[in-house]
Amino acid sequence: MSNLRTEEFDINMGPHHPSTHGVCRLLLTMDGEKVVKVVPYIGYLHRAIEKICENRTYAMCIPILDRFEYVTAMSCNYVFSLAAERLSGIEVPERAEYLRVIMLELNRIASHLIFFGTTAMDIGALTPFLYALREREYIMDLFEMTCGQRLTYNYIRVGGVSKDIPNEFTPKCRETVATISDKVEEYKRLLNGNPIWKMRTIGVGKLDADLALAYGVSGPILRASGVDYDLRRDDPYSIYDRFDYNIPIYQNGDVYDRYMIRLDEIQESCKIVAQALDQIEDGPIRAKVSPNFKPAAGETYTRIENSRGEMGVYLVSDGTKKPFRVKARGGSYPHLQLLPEIATNCMIADLVAIFASFDVILPEVDR
Amino acid sequence: MLEYIKGFFELVKGLGITGKHLTKHAVTLQYPEEKDVMPERSRGVVVLLSDKEDGSLNCTSCLLCMKACPTAAIIIDAPRGEDKKKVLKKFELDFSLCCYCGLCEEACNFSALKLTGKYEYSTGNKDDLIWDVHKLQDVGRDVDYVDKRKKKVKKVAPKPTVSEATDEIKPTQSADKIETKPVEIKTDKIKTDKIETPQDKDEKPKTEGEA
Amino acid sequence: MIAVGITVALKEILASFGLSGGLLSVVTYAILASATFGLLSVLALFLVWWERKIAGHMQQRFGPMRNGWHGWYQTLVDGLKLLQKEDVRVATRDKVVFFWAPVMCFIAAFAAYIVIPFGDGLIVADLNIGILYIMAITTFTVISLLMAGWGSNNKYALLGGMRSAAQVVSYEVPMVASILVVVLYAGSLSTVDIVNSQAGNFLNWNIFRVPYGPLAFLTYLVAAIAEANRTPFDLAEAEQELVAGFNIEYSGMKFAMFFLAEFINLFTVSAIAVILFFGGWHGFEFIPSFVWFFLKTFAVVFLLIMIRWTYPRMRVDQLMEFAWKFLVPLTFLNIIIAAIFKHFGWYWEL
Repeated sequence: MSNLRTEEFDINMGPHHPSTHGVCRLLLTMDGEKVVKVVPYIGYLHRAIEKICENRTYAMCIPILDRFEYVTAMSCNYVFSLAAERLSGIEVPERAEYLRVIMLELNRIASHLIFFGTTAMDIGALTPFLYALREREYIMDLFEMTCGQRLTYNYIRVGGVSKDIPNEFTPKCRETVATISDKVEEYKRLLNGNPIWKMRTIGVGKLDADLALAYGVSGPILRASGVDYDLRRDDPYSIYDRFDYNIPIYQNGDVYDRYMIRLDEIQESCKIVAQALDQIEDGPIRAKVSPNFKPAAGETYTRIENSRGEMGVYLVSDGTKKPFRVKARGGSYPHLQLLPEIATNCMIADLVAIFASFDVILPEVDR
Repeated sequence: MLEYIKGFFELVKGLGITGKHLTKHAVTLQYPEEKDVMPERSRGVVVLLSDKEDGSLNCTSCLLCMKACPTAAIIIDAPRGEDKKKVLKKFELDFSLCCYCGLCEEACNFSALKLTGKYEYSTGNKDDLIWDVHKLQDVGRDVDYVDKRKKKVKKVAPKPTVSEATDEIKPTQSADKIETKPVEIKTDKIKTDKIETPQDKDEKPKTEGEA
Repeated sequence: MIAVGITVALKEILASFGLSGGLLSVVTYAILASATFGLLSVLALFLVWWERKIAGHMQQRFGPMRNGWHGWYQTLVDGLKLLQKEDVRVATRDKVVFFWAPVMCFIAAFAAYIVIPFGDGLIVADLNIGILYIMAITTFTVISLLMAGWGSNNKYALLGGMRSAAQVVSYEVPMVASILVVVLYAGSLSTVDIVNSQAGNFLNWNIFRVPYGPLAFLTYLVAAIAEANRTPFDLAEAEQELVAGFNIEYSGMKFAMFFLAEFINLFTVSAIAVILFFGGWHGFEFIPSFVWFFLKTFAVVFLLIMIRWTYPRMRVDQLMEFAWKFLVPLTFLNIIIAAIFKHFGWYWEL
């Protein structure tokens, strides 16, 4: 049998494929069911977001950057606003900071719910996807109630937020957060013990901490590999020091851990939102910022902890009302680079599971 | 072996969870028959607002919305007329470009346009997505809004009383613009705004345009 | 109860019209075949709708709602749409293989119904090797899937075809081994005899023959899901991996044939489960026997649908490992246990 001649063949997975989450082309060299080589080809969704931002005023950049990573558009809003505020030294009112934290954490929950659903779907269970989206809709309703949009919010602005929350927001938000916390327990009951799920995820796509650090991996994937690194705590921004929350750490760095850490983070985020709703007080929601906002000339790299890892904006201002250069950094790009490293010599089904567990958002990779 | 038995019970538990959901009612809506209530702040179709009392456009052709638009979806053509006042000749909104960011609404100081909760405007023809001023106004007729304009304007519009209006010059001027334009626009439909201008001028003395 | 078999009854009716000899048999079986075909087509359409409804409600949606009451003729409309669609054929296909694959799949799915008793006497032909015949004929499905995979000349399709071949061949073994337990007790391969051996009290059903009965049912169920190519073993068309697997290049009516065959196979494996383990058409006498048969079969179908929409998919190597390292030894062990119980007479016959 051993001298049986086999032949490798190439197969194009994507640009249009059910499990590439957008338009990413993976050129696979296969040996039967086994993947010998993976080469990701990106750029199908390039929209020149960074360049567009150079031709827009700071206020206009925010809706454009909404499209940078649309699953967590709040953090795109936030990181750009934060960078502009740091350049010009604007003090953000207390209430605005709380509102920002509430929105960021709700958005993190929404994003992780998407992750949960799509990963389960890619591994073959279709029903959890619908459950996850059902819960996500509640969060979208909260966002729509506050800022009028469900996906591209344009809510967090330079100097604060655009609108105060409506009266019915607080009770509804508390209810939503409690529901989601319960539902996450149900998800765990549904999948965690399932032997098929365990077979498909445990020990699959192992990523050790050294490799993760070498590739610039951040966020939940890094923490699933046992590196305790969270920008909310390690590079403090906003008012995260006022809340009591844990940063979940897992050690194995396989698909199962990457899945578990996100479910845990949903529950931690629920805690943060509940605390923020308790602590929030009345007050102004936006510092005085002129419509022709011109920050002082200078440059800054501002980063925050996004649901996909470190999201940063390198902003150069020349003192005019348009930014001189906007460089956006998203978590997905390094994660996609990592794919050839850990998905080589696995089965094609594992490749799908690993790719799903990275939670890559292609518009963010292609920008 | 024990592991397999445990796994089997976990599988049954999974069936139990999905089976439990089978008995619950669906959370989705049957869309064309049932419609979700859009929140007050919902950002959907952009409409041009009309004055609550006389139904004329609130727009003053100040071009602020056009300048605020990040995708250049709004095109306004408002050349100055003979009396140095801007005449709204063209207001086009291209919904294929619009990103519903709401910056135009925030830029507007005269409550002239608003993003509403309306969303059913899909079409098979891309050209139909470019809405002109009449369509934008017609769609926005039933939209309730908070008038951001100065109170004075309202008083001027229905009753042309000379004494009150002379107190302040600026608002009346803006009021004038608001007054006069809609009249022209309505006549615009027949594309004979030049001919109609005398009518316009007839009205102006009544509202004491030149203070 | 219908004392005489439907075939015999039909033959008598036709003979009274003056038919005889070979012609009589041909006409009889032609009528029965078309009746079965019609019944199964309706059944497949119903099953598609039913599965979509169950999946929908399980996911807290409605499922099809547009055509008729709760969309009851949705699948009919879908079928009409597929009929009208262009039959897209890849230029690089293997013409003969590509054409015959769906036909074969369709025929294999229907042919099994010759020996399935829908009720007392409602059977086309009571072959004395009934179960063996079903096992043989349903295996034709895998050849058709392999043909589809090869004939499409598409890498995804080929992978899907290969997967299904490996899978079905492996799961055939535990399936037959599970069935053997029942055959051991019935002492016959004929489906009618197997059902009749479970007559009388419902405790006579094979599933209640503790401990080997339930075990045989479970192993049969697992193998049956694999045979019917459904999640967690739907590797042949694994949507997230192989897009659509073996039927990726098929469209229009050819796709519809694969699709309907899949649902008929679903009904077949459920019907066999009922025949083997749930006493076939037997039940309380005041309800007609075919009603019992359909009730029981739909219950098993419901279970299979629930399983499909709950579990994730297995990986191909795990699937093979599960079959050869766990299922095959377990089923063989089960046969030995059953033989011991049978030998010492440790079972009841009420």
